[in-house]
Amino acid sequence: MAATGAVVSVTGVCWEACFQPQRNRRVSATKLQSSSADAVVGFSRKCRVEGATLMSSCSSAVKPSSSSVSSCSSKPQQHHGRRGRAFATMATMAESPVASELEKVGDVLLEVRGLCAVVEATGKEILRGVDLTVRQGEVHAIMGKNGSGKSTLSKVLVGHPDYLVTSGTATYKGENLFDKEPEERSHAGLFLSFQSPVEIPGVSNMDFLRMACNARRSSLGLPEFGPLEFYGFLSPKLAALNMDPSFLDRNVNEGFSGGEKKRNEILQLAVLEADMAILDEIDSGLDVDALRDVAAAVNGLRKSDNAVLMITHYQRLLDYIKPTYVHIMEAGRIVKTGDSSLALQLEAGGYEALKESA
Amino acid sequence: MAPVLQHSIAGPACFVVPRRTIAIAAAATAPRSAAPRCNVASVAEPQAPPAGSPSLPTGSAVSSRRYPRSVALRTALSEPAKSGAKIGGRRHGAYVQEAALRDQAEASMSFVSASTPDLFLLDLASKLEDSIAQDGLANDPLARLREEATEATLSCHWPTNKDESYRFTDVKFLKQANINPVNVPSESSFDPASLNLPDSNGSRLVFVDGVLCKNLSSLEDVPEGVVIGSISSLPKEAVEEHVLPRLSGVARRSEGDVYACLNGVGARDLVVVIVPTGVKVPKPLYVLYYSAQGGPVGGPDSAFALSNPRLLVSVGKDAELDLVEDFTGAPQTLYWTNSVCEIDIAESGRVGHSYVQEQSLNAVHIRQTYVSQVTASTYKLVEAGFGGRLSRHNLSIQQLGPDTITEMSTFLLAGRKQLHDLHSKLVLDHPRGISRQLHKCIVSDSSGHAVFDGNVRVNRFAQQTDAGQLSRSLLLAPRATVNVKPNLQIIANDVKCSHGAAISDLEEDQLFYFRARGIDVQTARSALVFSFGAEVLQKLVGEGLRKRVENLVKSSLAAEGYIKPDLPVTI
Repeated sequence: MAATGAVVSVTGVCWEACFQPQRNRRVSATKLQSSSADAVVGFSRKCRVEGATLMSSCSSAVKPSSSSVSSCSSKPQQHHGRRGRAFATMATMAESPVASELEKVGDVLLEVRGLCAVVEATGKEILRGVDLTVRQGEVHAIMGKNGSGKSTLSKVLVGHPDYLVTSGTATYKGENLFDKEPEERSHAGLFLSFQSPVEIPGVSNMDFLRMACNARRSSLGLPEFGPLEFYGFLSPKLAALNMDPSFLDRNVNEGFSGGEKKRNEILQLAVLEADMAILDEIDSGLDVDALRDVAAAVNGLRKSDNAVLMITHYQRLLDYIKPTYVHIMEAGRIVKTGDSSLALQLEAGGYEALKESA
Repeated sequence: MAPVLQHSIAGPACFVVPRRTIAIAAAATAPRSAAPRCNVASVAEPQAPPAGSPSLPTGSAVSSRRYPRSVALRTALSEPAKSGAKIGGRRHGAYVQEAALRDQAEASMSFVSASTPDLFLLDLASKLEDSIAQDGLANDPLARLREEATEATLSCHWPTNKDESYRFTDVKFLKQANINPVNVPSESSFDPASLNLPDSNGSRLVFVDGVLCKNLSSLEDVPEGVVIGSISSLPKEAVEEHVLPRLSGVARRSEGDVYACLNGVGARDLVVVIVPTGVKVPKPLYVLYYSAQGGPVGGPDSAFALSNPRLLVSVGKDAELDLVEDFTGAPQTLYWTNSVCEIDIAESGRVGHSYVQEQSLNAVHIRQTYVSQVTASTYKLVEAGFGGRLSRHNLSIQQLGPDTITEMSTFLLAGRKQLHDLHSKLVLDHPRGISRQLHKCIVSDSSGHAVFDGNVRVNRFAQQTDAGQLSRSLLLAPRATVNVKPNLQIIANDVKCSHGAAISDLEEDQLFYFRARGIDVQTARSALVFSFGAEVLQKLVGEGLRKRVENLVKSSLAAEGYIKPDLPVTI
């Protein structure tokens, strides 16, 4: 998390205006600058101390201020060249902060380091070194232009067969995510709400939900639900999403409106009681009421020991689900991290404004 | 020209004489009379067919194209002629001679064009006629149908893979087998408990070997005015108004299809369902076709028992009917159910049609369905095909007025040594017709074979037609075969038509969706294989029927290991 913040800062954009920087922690600007020569790929380079201020402002946005910074201490891998070195530098640089504050924040749930992935069929590189740390209780939002790799990141994390991880690591609950099959990742509590969920004609929603729920339960050593028990388990969740029970008799996503598909995804999230929910554009195609229902349901599912990673294009979703961090993704990596004000700034001026805001 | 005239005039004239005589005479005298017959035929062949003659449906171009090939074919056939004689030793006396003579005759006529009467077919037709005559049914209201059908049969030939509509469907084995028409059915010959009779909900008709079985049929909750029953039991006015017009024109409707003609020749009974204007039948009418008589499988006595059920459904203006047809038969026997169903839907009428074919695995199932739809009428077919060694359905839908709605959903499951074939044809001649066709088939064994020919014709006046067709085939075993021919013929210029055909394994995206929700690959594959058919099957009318079909699909796919036996997915 902070490492990504660091990357942003290294790429040299100044975010003074938006972050009300706390300049009390201006760390070795020179160090930064020296690394930036290698690291900068995207935005105009204009390295200044603000990298550090960004970090601190980030952390100040979170309850315990050091959370993001401290996570830098895990050293990223070196194999992706120039950026790798940049991270390394930043990591060492940021290693200092107060360790005692660590206990106050949740444990690291998901840690992605230097993740690179290609489309398996074409070999086209989509992810070029993504770094991300998600802790329990946090809400992260990833924003970015179309084609910047947001959805790919989410699919790679859940093990979509179209993509091949070429380098980098992802650790989920302390285990290597890439060692697990997609269904094992789901059993471990990782959930992706698909941007456009596929239709499955011939399988009723009820049967699908029950199969999914029972798969999770049996992996946890719990007894499976019979049809009636399951209905009892499901009813309140259905009501929370303002969904009609007739919805269960319909085939999975078949003929669903955009809003119904998203509600259905969140219903699945509720049924699976996932610990780490990745929500890929759950706001697209929703009307105001549906957005409110979906967001309320997501908020209702939040607990101190789970986390949410949202991908969105618009501020309005973040009005309902308040993010702890906002990340900006560009050309396959996270180039900037901040708090929710980043999204506001983006909403006001677009991506160009973010670049030029220096 | 003279021979041509002789040919076309002599045809009907011959029918005054009992058919049996003709067939045998033809067979017996063929070696000697082959030469003059050849002449007639071969002179006739290059000529254009006489205008309006239904007996020469194929143009001369087709015939001449076929000529060289048919030489090869006939030469090839002369080989079985020898083996036929050998096999003949095992057959019964009279038939042996007849069959041997027939084969000889065919062999000797090997240079005759395909328009020569097909002796095997004549023989079969004459056997059917005999069986009818034995029943003393010669003068019933179906006589007219029989006469016309017999005439049409003479201009047909047994299909081979040289015929476009039988290109992938091999019916040669039937020609090499013994076929005997069923005897007069007796109700004691089988156990009614073996039937899948539905719960007494609603009314039902039970055909046993092509004849309506009154004891097993029941008509409950049938609204007043609805007429259901055998043609012989119907009020005279109803017969004259609704039935007689449908008994002519068999040849035209069959479009040269030999099986429709044979049904006309051999039909012992015609069951009629008339729903008058404005009447909505509340519960589905369940029609069960049971083949009780069947020959032994294998051995010298091996023979197909042929039955010819025939159903006519006429639904009046604003009337509605849900029809459920279910085909089954005695297991472990050889039989051939050759059925015909005609459905007329008047203005704004609606027919929901569920069709389940679960014949025994050695059986042959050939079926013609003719549907005509008048203005703003609706026809929805849901077909599920599982049984039979050979199953062929010719579905022909004709639009007679604008604003019609037509839906065809079909699912075929072809397993070991099974061939399932659907030929559907929808002809749109009027504006604003809407049609939706979904055809799905699974071939689950290397020796399984599925064929689909889906034709949609959008003629000149059928503007603003909205026609969609999708065919999806799932091949689960190596070397499993499917031949798919979706074809749209569009002449109108303001239409919306789509068609697609996919032959594939399961879709990766769907599989991944299951896995992403924690469902293991094997269960996911099972669910997807099952749901492939369930998409169609869940449209079947009636909870009991759906449940039964669901179990059928599950057990047959589970037996071959394609789905888990305890799959928690239902229709």
